[in-house]
Amino acid sequence: MLTRREWFVAAAGAGAVLTSRVLSGQGQPTFTPMDQSAYRPVLREPKPGAQPSMTPLERDQLERTLKCQCTCILDVYTCRTTDFTCSVSPAMHRDVMRLVEGGYTAQEIKDAFVATYGEVALTAPVKQGFNWAGYFAPAVVMTTGGIILTMMIKRWTARAAANAPAMAAGSASGAAVVPRIDASADEMARLEKALREEDFE
Amino acid sequence: MVLVGELSLWIALLMGVWAVTLSFAGGYLKREDLIVSGERGLYATTGFVVLASLGLWTALLTSDFSVRYVASFTSANLPIVYKFSAFWGGQAGSMLFWCLVLAGYAAAATFTNRSKNRALMPWVTGTNAAVLLFFVMATTIASNPFERLEWIPPDGRGLNPQLQNPAMAIHPPLLYLGYVATAIPFGFAIAALVTRRLDAEWLGAVRKWSIISWVFLTLGILLGMWWAYVELGWGGYWMWDPVENASLLPWLTGTAFLHSIMIQEKRGMLRKWNVILVVGTFLLSILGTFITRSGIIQSVHSFAQSNIGMWFAVFMVLMLAVTAWLVSIRLRDLEAKAELEAMISREAAFLYNNLVLVGIAFSVLWGTLFPILSEAVRGSKITVGESFFNAVNVPLGLLLLALTGIGPLIAWRRASVQNIQRQFAGPAFFGVVAAAVLWVLGARELYPLMAWGLGAFVAGTIIQEFYKGTLARMRMHGENIFTALVNLVTRNRRRYGGYIVHAGIVILFSAFAGMAFRQEYDVTLREGESFTTKDPFGKEWTFTSDGISQFKALNRDVVTVALMPVMEGKAFPVLTSEKRQHFDTRGNPTFQPSTEVGILQMQRQDVYLVLAGTIGDRAEIRINFNPLVVWVWHGGILMALGGLIVMWPQSERKRQGGYVTELAPQHAETAGV
Repeated sequence: MLTRREWFVAAAGAGAVLTSRVLSGQGQPTFTPMDQSAYRPVLREPKPGAQPSMTPLERDQLERTLKCQCTCILDVYTCRTTDFTCSVSPAMHRDVMRLVEGGYTAQEIKDAFVATYGEVALTAPVKQGFNWAGYFAPAVVMTTGGIILTMMIKRWTARAAANAPAMAAGSASGAAVVPRIDASADEMARLEKALREEDFE
Repeated sequence: MVLVGELSLWIALLMGVWAVTLSFAGGYLKREDLIVSGERGLYATTGFVVLASLGLWTALLTSDFSVRYVASFTSANLPIVYKFSAFWGGQAGSMLFWCLVLAGYAAAATFTNRSKNRALMPWVTGTNAAVLLFFVMATTIASNPFERLEWIPPDGRGLNPQLQNPAMAIHPPLLYLGYVATAIPFGFAIAALVTRRLDAEWLGAVRKWSIISWVFLTLGILLGMWWAYVELGWGGYWMWDPVENASLLPWLTGTAFLHSIMIQEKRGMLRKWNVILVVGTFLLSILGTFITRSGIIQSVHSFAQSNIGMWFAVFMVLMLAVTAWLVSIRLRDLEAKAELEAMISREAAFLYNNLVLVGIAFSVLWGTLFPILSEAVRGSKITVGESFFNAVNVPLGLLLLALTGIGPLIAWRRASVQNIQRQFAGPAFFGVVAAAVLWVLGARELYPLMAWGLGAFVAGTIIQEFYKGTLARMRMHGENIFTALVNLVTRNRRRYGGYIVHAGIVILFSAFAGMAFRQEYDVTLREGESFTTKDPFGKEWTFTSDGISQFKALNRDVVTVALMPVMEGKAFPVLTSEKRQHFDTRGNPTFQPSTEVGILQMQRQDVYLVLAGTIGDRAEIRINFNPLVVWVWHGGILMALGGLIVMWPQSERKRQGGYVTELAPQHAETAGV
């Protein structure tokens, strides 16, 4: 458990990292055009006696896992079929076609693109090493949150039962709960009815 | 007028300092004269911000190219509506627009509370004025829209073609109206923490502002989706783009707050949590602007990047630190006033609803920021795309959908077995039958099937509630079905407005599931050539090219392709898609070519046409069949409508009347109802 001082130190550290990242990103132009020089050839010799390794439909699916490098946020397939002004995605598409015809599997083609561009060539992080944190953190947080919340609810309900034994006993036996408020029988009947209505408010 | 605008901005800066200082001093010293002076300072700041805004609008509409902003984002031949909307088309203008909205909201909050919440108001006014001061300062010093050029160019650069769309004229203001409205609850939260008045008082004032924010965010996000769908041409409406994500984050935490506030109102619980949600929602709104403006993360919204990110980073850290400190010294005051009595209760259901909403917000934030984190840790860039967000968020979304049905029907405090059976048997049966029927009809994908099954379950719970309520009114008051239905909603707007929001959610989720069955085809056609295929519903379509044409419009050259679609012998209107190259008044091209998609909209699906480009007389086109897309817009509008019903003012007399009428009809006459 962090002390308040430790918490503030940690927060300040995180702020400093973020700030340095922001500072390094200063001075950007007011409009970021597509970077048409981002293309790098991904070349491999065809395998001996190579046959196309996949159908055009499978190739399109593969291209959806490769990110166009022109600074748009689209995958190669979507970019090349959306915007003809981009010269990067058609060039990447040609490389994919060449590798498919050279007999390379989908994984081999992805590996070839990663070897040329780095992991940024993929639309999702490779499932290895630190990247697992990316995949698992939401699940871990949700599971932990769910467990903590369930434990808290159990603790609260136990405390409520301990604080109001008469009430708890009354509810368990189905007997009417004795109100500790100043209300007439008619008013209590109205209240009961209102509770039964289960007002959304 | 430009000079008046610029001077007004500087005077607004000084008045803002006055408003902050006097309000906080008045609150601390408990001196009414200082408090009133601080409030007047805020009104004056608002007035000068309005004047500054009028100055910029005048410069834009009169094409005063001596102003850098006007020259950068408009041209003489730009349609007047886009000259007007260019106000928020660039960073400096949108910063001033943020100031304008915030000033309006802050003045409205101060004015509407002039005779109530007086103990809170100096701190509310001071906090709102401090936030406004930050924005005015950032606008004046770091991003001044009135900055002049050393020479006057004959024409401006023009507005990015992607922003020349009716949705883009409305989407940013709506989103800003939503973002900025979160500042007012933040002001109340700070005031409540400072004054230790942490009971229902501040919640009552905050609730309405939170709903205003929620409604505007909903509409803003929806319009953003529509803009992406019709303008960007990738065939979808949500790409998990960082800026899209940034708009979703405060919406998620704001939605969580609108649920958890009910528990504090009813039971006096979740007091710490509600403060955290209010503050978190505000900070996430700032984060949204930070992400849009800083260029820290690559995005399709890169047209708005600038060097103002540092200001936002410092502001966020400062606000976070102040709030964390205030919460830490008020922990004892934030203890719950009641206990949770049972695991199976509405309180517990709402808690799990909050967990899921905040969990989704975390996963979206995590996925958005993970590339930065990965680069910092490993030194290599990565991309976190659609597949990651879908893998994480679709199951969570389905869980949320289930809770949408469970939460409102389960009893407060403790649900009995009878209660559960009575409320859920019918809707659960409805959901199972719907899923089974869809399975038989061929829907075999797990997530869509679950979405539609759970959607049917939630729809069942909503229909059941309206049915029971309407029937009860018809019996008790002898009203006809229409009158009973209208009265049911108007007498309890929060409850039934909430159900209408939930109905919108069901429609929205069902429409999202439809996209799992989208189909797309990449084809090349000459004039007279045809392409035949089957849509996801098994219907055969033939598209025949009517050829390519070129023409010149107001401020652009246009290349267009026309297709004649025919579905099993039935002809539909001609479908066209365009490539546009915009130019300035001297005929020089501005920006890169943009795409205008062609959409044939039907209830069951959209046929979506994109002209990717031309090679000689051949058109390279993509044809998509996008199932159920129109229901995304229907569902979103229904959600906003439900939100409007919830926030619509209801007189105390009418509320009382409705309550008395429901509880004791025999006394209705004597009660004057």
